Amino acid sequence: MVMGTVTTGRKLRWGLVDILVLVFALVPVLWVVSLSFKTKDTITDGSFIPQSWTWQNYADIFETSEFIRALVNSIGIALISTVIAVVLGTMAAYAIARLDFPGKQLLVGLSLLIAMFPQVSLVTPLFNIERNLNLFDTWPGLILPYITFALPLSIYTLSAFFREIPWELEKAAKMDGATPAQAFRRVIAPLAAPGVFTTAILVFIFCWNDFLFAISLTSTTASRTVPAALSFFTGSSQFEDPTGQVCAAAVVITIPIILFVLFFQRRIVAGLTSGAVKG
Amino acid sequence: MTVQDSSQTDTGAAAAHEAVSHKKTKPVLSEGKKAERRLGLWLCAPAFIVMIAVTGYPILYSVWLSLQRYDLRFPAQQEFVGLDNYIAVLTNSYWWTAFGTTMFLTVVSVAIEFVLGMTLALIMHRTLVGRGLIRTVALIPYGIVTVVAAFSWYYAWTPKYGYLANALADGSAPLTEQWPSLFIIIGAEVWKTTPFMALLLMAGLALVPDDLLKAASMDGANAWQRFTKVMLPVMKPAILVALLFRTLDAFRIFDNIFVLTSGAQDTGSVSMQTYDNLVKGLNLGIGSTMAVLIFITVALIAFIFIKVFGTAAPGSDTGGKR
Amino acid sequence: MGKRSGAGERGRSPGRTAALLGAGALVTGLLAGCGSGGGLKINVYYAPEDSFQKVVDNCNKAAAGRYEIVYNKLQRGADDQRLQMARRLAAGDTAMDVLGLDVTWVSEFAEAGWVEEWKDQNKAQATDGVLAGPLETATYNGKLYAATKNTNIQLLWYDDRITPTPPKTWDEMIQQAQNLKAQGKPSNIVFTGAQYEGLVVFYNTLVESLGGHILSDDGKSVVMDDGAVKALALLKQITTSGITDPSLTNSKEDDVRQTFQRGDAAFELNWPFVYASYAKEKPQEVSHFKWAVYPEAQAGMPAKTTIGGYDLGVSSLSQHKPEAFEAALCLRSAENQKFSAINDGVPPTIESVYHNDTPVDPGKAAGADNPNMAIKYPMRDTILDALKDAAVRPLTPAYQNASTVMSKILSPPADIDPQATAAKLREQLGDALQSKGVIP
Repeated sequence: MVMGTVTTGRKLRWGLVDILVLVFALVPVLWVVSLSFKTKDTITDGSFIPQSWTWQNYADIFETSEFIRALVNSIGIALISTVIAVVLGTMAAYAIARLDFPGKQLLVGLSLLIAMFPQVSLVTPLFNIERNLNLFDTWPGLILPYITFALPLSIYTLSAFFREIPWELEKAAKMDGATPAQAFRRVIAPLAAPGVFTTAILVFIFCWNDFLFAISLTSTTASRTVPAALSFFTGSSQFEDPTGQVCAAAVVITIPIILFVLFFQRRIVAGLTSGAVKG
Repeated sequence: MTVQDSSQTDTGAAAAHEAVSHKKTKPVLSEGKKAERRLGLWLCAPAFIVMIAVTGYPILYSVWLSLQRYDLRFPAQQEFVGLDNYIAVLTNSYWWTAFGTTMFLTVVSVAIEFVLGMTLALIMHRTLVGRGLIRTVALIPYGIVTVVAAFSWYYAWTPKYGYLANALADGSAPLTEQWPSLFIIIGAEVWKTTPFMALLLMAGLALVPDDLLKAASMDGANAWQRFTKVMLPVMKPAILVALLFRTLDAFRIFDNIFVLTSGAQDTGSVSMQTYDNLVKGLNLGIGSTMAVLIFITVALIAFIFIKVFGTAAPGSDTGGKR
Repeated sequence: MGKRSGAGERGRSPGRTAALLGAGALVTGLLAGCGSGGGLKINVYYAPEDSFQKVVDNCNKAAAGRYEIVYNKLQRGADDQRLQMARRLAAGDTAMDVLGLDVTWVSEFAEAGWVEEWKDQNKAQATDGVLAGPLETATYNGKLYAATKNTNIQLLWYDDRITPTPPKTWDEMIQQAQNLKAQGKPSNIVFTGAQYEGLVVFYNTLVESLGGHILSDDGKSVVMDDGAVKALALLKQITTSGITDPSLTNSKEDDVRQTFQRGDAAFELNWPFVYASYAKEKPQEVSHFKWAVYPEAQAGMPAKTTIGGYDLGVSSLSQHKPEAFEAALCLRSAENQKFSAINDGVPPTIESVYHNDTPVDPGKAAGADNPNMAIKYPMRDTILDALKDAAVRPLTPAYQNASTVMSKILSPPADIDPQATAAKLREQLGDALQSKGVIP
């Protein structure tokens, strides 16, 4: 990108590097996929490729509507939490990074405090609050904590982005007659896009894979998300781990993540290359 | 609301202070400044209202609990014991063993993740072949449910069960010895969260203006110099966020250890001990004390990071490049 | 309806009053019955068991509309089940009626006042025909706090092609294993040695088999007598004789089952669930898969094996206790215990069920697709024998603390020094029992 011409030699080198990355990222994932296709008696035979294949594990997880319910809950809760967290986080991050107001340091410290406090000890008081407010085992009951715990990272990431955007752009827009809101929308937002989409991906993955709150703040399929649902899978007895089913479920629930990331990752660098910085 | 109240007194105090110190030049804040303050507070308000509403009581309650002797099964025997719980935990050798283990795991895994993450970020940002594919695939490890990934490593490393253990000498069971299992745990953590680092660092890389790099290379800088003298400084805020948040999470490691070794051979972390006391022992007093101690440790780490990275912290200067 | 006795000057006759009252009572009764029959839900909180829903359905039929039992599944892990219930009970949740309690939780829940005591008729029905060992797990301080639902006891499993006669004592077993190892055959003794409850169960069996005690009978103080110390020495001997699996300190029940089933061990000490799995996954070899009672720790003293299982308790916060008791009794009735035993592999607690050979579908003959106790539990006689000499884990409300401490100190078993380890156990168990101190 920076220098030199794009020769086939360079392409080949990058290709090799890419393959290394693929191996590093995918081999353990393929192992999970392999475990999900193994039959019960060969699951511990140690071979990477299943000696005997079966779709039974996948059939088992969809046997009842519980898993589908959990998927619906997960998708809904994660999407709503992501949208709200990113919106609120963007607003707060903009203010913190570019505006001067009293109590700024306090607010930043507060959000860090929330990110630092071990969540395991917050669960029981949160459980009590939600029970009293009738939020226990509901979607809002999970959405609110997810937003809360996603906000610190969102604010920090987004403010790191807003910080780097030159003021001249905003000034220029204002001089061209734009209101602050228009300046924000036309000039700042596109440049902050990498940060926004990065944050969206991270928040979505956090909400999607969270286990602690999902298991403590739900009790029925009304709001139980997929990671929690995994711990309800049964083996054929209380001592058998339903590894095949759990792996099959894990493969299934990773697909939405892949789609989400695939969709968003292009937009992470789209902002800066759009030419706003030049000149 | 808490946020509004403190801000109003702050505004008043700040205005008064400014009035006093700038008596001769600026007795009162300009309209623009006031508008800016109002806008700033209004923009921040929703986020902070949500955060405080959800965590205010639980955090205060946890801290209060740490000063009590409180077993969930015997609520009638609850009593205030001041710092007794803290003394009990801080003089307990199990706590310090877990603390040491956790520190070791945190430092090593974050260091490795930073190096690998930066490498991965550069690849994701610059590769000429299959960029979209690499970016998506590289994030998959982070997208898999932690417990499932831990189970897959458990199977991979248990003799006879999996391909990695079978590649080792016969009869060795790495998960049953302390140091091999610690490194396996680090391996599992690194594999899972390097994409997190890489994603944040890549977004930071996207901020580096091309012209700066062009200018540097025209001044004769080689790739390494371009990296250290141009890219890294611009990426400082992104690096701070990545390292800070990753370290905070790394210190609270739980799932991987729980599945891989159940904490045997002194591989348990402080989070596991907190879980044991809070959940198995239903001892809210000691459990909350441990949570507060973990918080204090993590706060110290954050403090060190922010001091080291100086102006890269959010809101630390007067607001971006003015 | 009412008797129209002499009208009299008193206005309404006593007969009419009685009639009105009677009608009133009848209507109220009908309303109550109708209203609750449509709405009275008894919430059962129990571990996920595949065929338990069918048992619930059976009991709903038996309830004939007076109440409806709703099966609320808890998580697979026992610790998680306990946490969910404890958290809600401590918060005063009245929506739970029947609780599925692992045998080690009954004392704890009873002491915390979370479960109701079973008295009179309920007690009589809950204890009728129940084996002594399981019954002990449902009792605390001499009172009955739960109805036993199923039990579980470990047996010695072996392959008769490798070991035609099973060993009777631990010394014999270690000797046989070493001989097999010298011959290059599968030789390991596999049991649950990971740092968790399974290790405590194993150690408890050794202690009880040597006539020792870890805690006092009332569960309030630490004893760790000679028998317990000898058990420590035995545990060390077993794990340092070169005949245990390299993954011992990371092996839980399923790992142990897998290892033996794969042919990498000669002797397995595990719960009976292993038989059903073996039969399903290696049907052509299951005829060689044999069982025996646990080996004796000391020749001449029958082994006392630790039992597991689940009991059903009634929440003290329940708003419908009479119905809850009735529901619980139905869920663990002899008939339903047989159903659960055949379909979910959980051994019954009522002795008569073991001798009941009626298949699932009584109309047809017993067979692989219509199993009875004989087909699914060929080892039932051995189970009954083992249950006669059952050992329970220490019955103390602080059992979870004690267990966590013990599993930490006993791990890894190869590093045990009987005197030093016993001293450590005495000191730290003492603290754990008081709920004082920090558990590892």
